[in-house]
Amino acid sequence: MPLQAFQLSAPLSLGVELELQLVSLSHFDLVDASPDLLELLGRRRFPGHVVPEITQSMIEVNTDVHSSHADMLAQLREIRDALVEAGDRLNVGLCGGGTHPFQQWSERKIFAKPRFKEVSQLYGYLAKQFTIFGQHIHIGCASGDDALFLLHSLNRYVPHFIALAASSPFVQRRDTQFDSARLNSVFAFPLSGRAPFTQSWSDFEQGYFARMERTGIVKSMKDFYWDIRPKPEYGTIELRVCDTPLSVDRAAALAGYLQALCRHLLSRAEAPPAEEDYLVYNYNRFQACRFGLDGALVHPKTYRSRSILEDLLTTLDRLETHAQAVGALPALEHLARAAREGSDASFLRREYALRGSAEGMVDAAIGRFRGRA
Amino acid sequence: MKAEAAVEQALLQLAGLAWPLAVAFAWLLGELVHQALGLPRISVYGLVGFALGHGQLGLLPPTDTGAVMLLANVAFGLSLFEFGYRINLRWLRTNPWLAISGLAEAACTFGAAYWVAGQFGMSALASLLLASLLMSASPAAILRVFNEERSSGAVTERALHLSALSCVLAVFAFKTIVGFWLYQASGSVAEAVSVSLGLLLASLLLGLAFGAAVPFLLRQAGPGSRDATVGLALGVILIVAIAHFFRLSPVLAALTFGFVARHRRITLDQTQRNFGALGELLAIVLFVFVGATIDWHRVAAGLGLGLLLILARLLCKVLVIGAFARASGVSWRKGLLSGLAMTPISVFVILLLEQARYMGIDLIDQLAPLAAVTLLLEVAGPVLTQRALMLAGESAQDKED
Repeated sequence: MPLQAFQLSAPLSLGVELELQLVSLSHFDLVDASPDLLELLGRRRFPGHVVPEITQSMIEVNTDVHSSHADMLAQLREIRDALVEAGDRLNVGLCGGGTHPFQQWSERKIFAKPRFKEVSQLYGYLAKQFTIFGQHIHIGCASGDDALFLLHSLNRYVPHFIALAASSPFVQRRDTQFDSARLNSVFAFPLSGRAPFTQSWSDFEQGYFARMERTGIVKSMKDFYWDIRPKPEYGTIELRVCDTPLSVDRAAALAGYLQALCRHLLSRAEAPPAEEDYLVYNYNRFQACRFGLDGALVHPKTYRSRSILEDLLTTLDRLETHAQAVGALPALEHLARAAREGSDASFLRREYALRGSAEGMVDAAIGRFRGRA
Repeated sequence: MKAEAAVEQALLQLAGLAWPLAVAFAWLLGELVHQALGLPRISVYGLVGFALGHGQLGLLPPTDTGAVMLLANVAFGLSLFEFGYRINLRWLRTNPWLAISGLAEAACTFGAAYWVAGQFGMSALASLLLASLLMSASPAAILRVFNEERSSGAVTERALHLSALSCVLAVFAFKTIVGFWLYQASGSVAEAVSVSLGLLLASLLLGLAFGAAVPFLLRQAGPGSRDATVGLALGVILIVAIAHFFRLSPVLAALTFGFVARHRRITLDQTQRNFGALGELLAIVLFVFVGATIDWHRVAAGLGLGLLLILARLLCKVLVIGAFARASGVSWRKGLLSGLAMTPISVFVILLLEQARYMGIDLIDQLAPLAAVTLLLEVAGPVLTQRALMLAGESAQDKED
């Protein structure tokens, strides 16, 4: 099936998807509760959209399309409150975090839905290992060409998003020394990584995608697990590198930041993206996963190296007028504060040391999702 | 004479082999039947124990000797501790309908059992004791089946929490009624109170003390010993031995220990479910022991009433918990299945009775129909729990590509 034409959407409009963990409030391990939770949530109107994910201990929520950070935040809080209330009735805690710190992938169950069963058959244990939790942010684009321009211009900012959202330091009860271990699981998929360098939608559609489709490897855009991918049916690009943050406030702030950043990029004030930019891409990305905000970032044009934190704070300053224009200033303030206080990954490490067990750390993450901490 | 004495001596020595042999045989048969038919292993253990028991084939010596009973109590203590450790007491508060459904179910079972027993001409006191015991659902059996099936979901969580509630209610009701019974028999208030209320209180305190002290000690041991399984297991063994020695309730003490330790949140590594291989081994002893306590003659004598009691109890659990399902947040179907999953009873009842007998109160003859109930549910209970999980789609053993 050829790629759908790129739908038009309001430029810089926002949409957020969050994959959330379903945790037993008894033992703090993941629990196969998505069928029960969906049944309970289905009894009344949900302030957004909620859908199953590949294993039964995950759930995905989507917001409506918003034009401002404030509306996004308000809806995300409503969604959170509805989820928390339903979870409490089922002894299920909801939380963010890119990985669950001690779940065993072999215990997971694939949700009964044809696409999930297909994916599971193709990828084997990778599908169950894919019980990891990410935030996807959609940005509306005026055209397919704009979408690809933004997609590639964002390459040098991807480490900011990884480091700001990083919340998966633990896997199998051990500190991996990565701030975001989740992305390591994504790399295992053959069609992960970055989109091919082309800035023209017709080249992408009739060239790259058509050829890939003829190879028989892919059927739709869904088969690509890229860091940023175009979503022609929505008229958006989708940033997929973020771990699900521990709070919806952080999730909304990341969306606001992306919105302001895209507005800045669309003003064409920066040198246009080039294929060469990707020379440093994988290394920068690794630095962000491994060291978070303390990682090093090599500028793709100047090859100058500085810390992600420094680069982020400079960028936040530079974006002020754009943020003001789209109402994202509170989002930038939130992130500047978070950058100074430490990411969710450092919060989790602190709680682990304080409470002395991985269970205690999960409990703290549940508390943070509730909006208590 | 000399030869006879020698033969007797040899037989006595051979009797020492009976338990190890029985346990090994039960394990082997359990594996074979589980592989071939997919039935829960503990059903097989119970059957083997019953077949080899003193009243039947007679391979096993009588079960009222202290040592085996202590071992069984330790095994049960481990189960109860893990059980208590998995209970989130706060849930009963955040979802009051769940607590209400548990109370209503226990009350209904108590009432129904009392009425049925009365219709069969049992004395009021015996009927009350019987009814109090039938309220309970056996944590050991339920937890073992859950772990065997690696189940997770609403039915699993509900059955766990509701059976914990039922056990606590049953222990309190049972001990209170025993207290009354003692008062009637001896006329001594002091004895009655000390055996019922005093004993409950002391057991609770023991559990509280362990729940506070053991996690504290484990923490002092430092981060090098994050896997707390062995430390907690030793705690359980100790608490059961102490309860045994002072004739307290090991059930209540171990359960309280679990509750309290959980809320102090020390790591219980999930790979160590059932206390790992140690728990696995002791569970075989436990279920064989429970089977072996049952005497065929009592089963035959109480079969009719036993069957009726089972039916009444099953109906109460399934219908009452089912009736509160929607209000407490799950589908009707999952509510009914939660009730069904709570069918097992045997271990809990038998140990309470054995404990009472150990304290010089022999109720087993008075409560003859219990033999039939426990034997039938020892085999059928775990199977029903397993089927409930499968029907609810919560068993990981489901054929899932």
